[in-house]
Amino acid sequence: MSRNTWHRIFSTSGLGWLLAVACVGALLYVPSRNPQGYLVFLGMSTFAHIAMSYAWDILGGLTGQVSFGYGVYFGLGAYATGIAMLQGVSPYVGMVLGALIALLMSIVIGVPTFRLRGPYFAIATIGVNEAVRVIMLNWRSVTGGASGLPLPSTGFSGPILYRDALILMLATILLYRWIMRAPLGLALNAIREDEDAAAALGVNTLLYKLIAHGLGAIVVALAGGIIARWDVYIEPISTFGFGRSIEILMMPVIGGTGTFWGPLIGGFVLTAVKDQIVSAYPNLHLLIYGLLLALIMLFEPKGAVGVARRLRRWIRARVGSSVVPGAGKEAPTEHGKVAGGR
Amino acid sequence: MSQFLQILVNGLLLAGLYATMSYGLAMIYGVMKIINLAHAAFIMLGAYLAWTLFTYAHIDPLLSAPLITIFFFVFGMLLYRFVVRRVPMADVPTLPSLLLLFAIWLILKNLAYLIWTGNDRAILTSYTFTAFDIGGIRIGLIQFIIFLVGIGILLVLRVFMSRTYVGLAIRALTQNREASLLVGIPADQIAMIAFGMGTALAALAGALMALLYSFTPEFGSTFLLRAFCIVVLGGLESFGGVAFGALVLALAESYAVTFMEASLQPAIAFTILVIALIVMPTGIARTFEEWQIKRQIAQ
Repeated sequence: MSRNTWHRIFSTSGLGWLLAVACVGALLYVPSRNPQGYLVFLGMSTFAHIAMSYAWDILGGLTGQVSFGYGVYFGLGAYATGIAMLQGVSPYVGMVLGALIALLMSIVIGVPTFRLRGPYFAIATIGVNEAVRVIMLNWRSVTGGASGLPLPSTGFSGPILYRDALILMLATILLYRWIMRAPLGLALNAIREDEDAAAALGVNTLLYKLIAHGLGAIVVALAGGIIARWDVYIEPISTFGFGRSIEILMMPVIGGTGTFWGPLIGGFVLTAVKDQIVSAYPNLHLLIYGLLLALIMLFEPKGAVGVARRLRRWIRARVGSSVVPGAGKEAPTEHGKVAGGR
Repeated sequence: MSQFLQILVNGLLLAGLYATMSYGLAMIYGVMKIINLAHAAFIMLGAYLAWTLFTYAHIDPLLSAPLITIFFFVFGMLLYRFVVRRVPMADVPTLPSLLLLFAIWLILKNLAYLIWTGNDRAILTSYTFTAFDIGGIRIGLIQFIIFLVGIGILLVLRVFMSRTYVGLAIRALTQNREASLLVGIPADQIAMIAFGMGTALAALAGALMALLYSFTPEFGSTFLLRAFCIVVLGGLESFGGVAFGALVLALAESYAVTFMEASLQPAIAFTILVIALIVMPTGIARTFEEWQIKRQIAQ
């Protein structure tokens, strides 16, 4: 890796560094206090979901290709890991294999479906997801059919899974940050803004879409492996299901697609909402996702990050024009921006 | 041979149902270029409304179907007026509209869970198992009625689309939005009516399907993908094409059962859908036209 690469990943202000290190340190401290605690589970689940949220956003937000099909890779990761455990092999071998299978599958699915644009691609991914789910449900010798497969629970350790999920999340965030700042990110953004123009300028659009899809598939498969190890049980409907794909898609959309903080916020919000509500009302969380999604699409397609940006502009406009002396000069331009932004 | 004919007849009857549930999707796509994922929810709600009226008010689903159709026509128009028209629309489908309709589906589906719970529901009437024989081929009464309704709707839609102002305006908007606006078609009102009609047709299909299948709030989703498959096969914007696509899918599914597991049947629609989207994104009819044009040029 060149110096440039490291620079793209890690360059941030001193304060940013301090905060990041403090956060990771605090997160590492959590399981040592109470290894069997509920926070360990919540942390593991949140990290894995945030990782998937970023993974979806590489293709969905940065490249603008909305896919309803990431459940396929989640299921492949979960099953590869589960089957490795049943065979007595290390689950990490299963996770790596699952990631490779997911990468291959992402290419097999991507090559034909990436010929389609926008919503047509989205619908094709719904079709692929459903087809894979139906096939897996019926492939009983491998997937255990509707009753699924219980996994061996020997060697189960909450703190280890917590750590794995944390590593996966951090790695994915750094990957996402690197893509955003690297030439790869520019190419992906160009495809999002205008695919024909990007192609005319010499961007190999199919190749770049496949790269974005493949990277996302690998991360989602790894997250699937971690969650399968936690659940000690796998079955095709929830791992390959459409509901899983929706959940993965909802996170970055709630937070704000194509932004650095969006997938993080969305992943956090979604896991928290789900966690607080799912046990009491099994379907209410989906209702809330639906309402959130509708409100976001109607009023602020950039999600939580979009709302925050609006709020910041609004506050700056207020503060700039009335309270802070000296900032008054900038006020008219800020007002202009607000007016233009609406 | 008789088995072959029996499957053919079953496929034909199924095609009528499939066509009924797909017209609405094609109409909404044509006028608004919206891919209506909420279609599944309207099918499901139609079925539940029929069930509720049958169970608590003892109204036969065949009688309540027209009421349900009218109710959902109004419901669809209101939904368009207050929600759907707020997202940006263009000549091609946009992702915000797709995700918004998806959100509506999610909301309606989970409201249905709250209202009717997730238990399987079914409507058993006195004629549910009635069937008659014609030359050794068994035809279910309900299947036959639904088939007639499907054909009837196709004919009514044909007349409506070619004889009435609204119908002509819908076709004009489907063909060229900008030109329609230039000649003074009130696109917003027409879109509202089209959305209402699309919703009403979905609910009608749902009410009829409640006679045939048991259902849960997840009911519409497999049919949504079938409807997509049909509409894509037919070319997204033509009603004749929809009927044709319904026939293709219904026959493919009916015959597939003879050589593969029935539980794999839903995968057929998805496979056809993906292949059709990729091989002929403009639908069979257009692909055939293009092929003919190419051949003429070659001569």
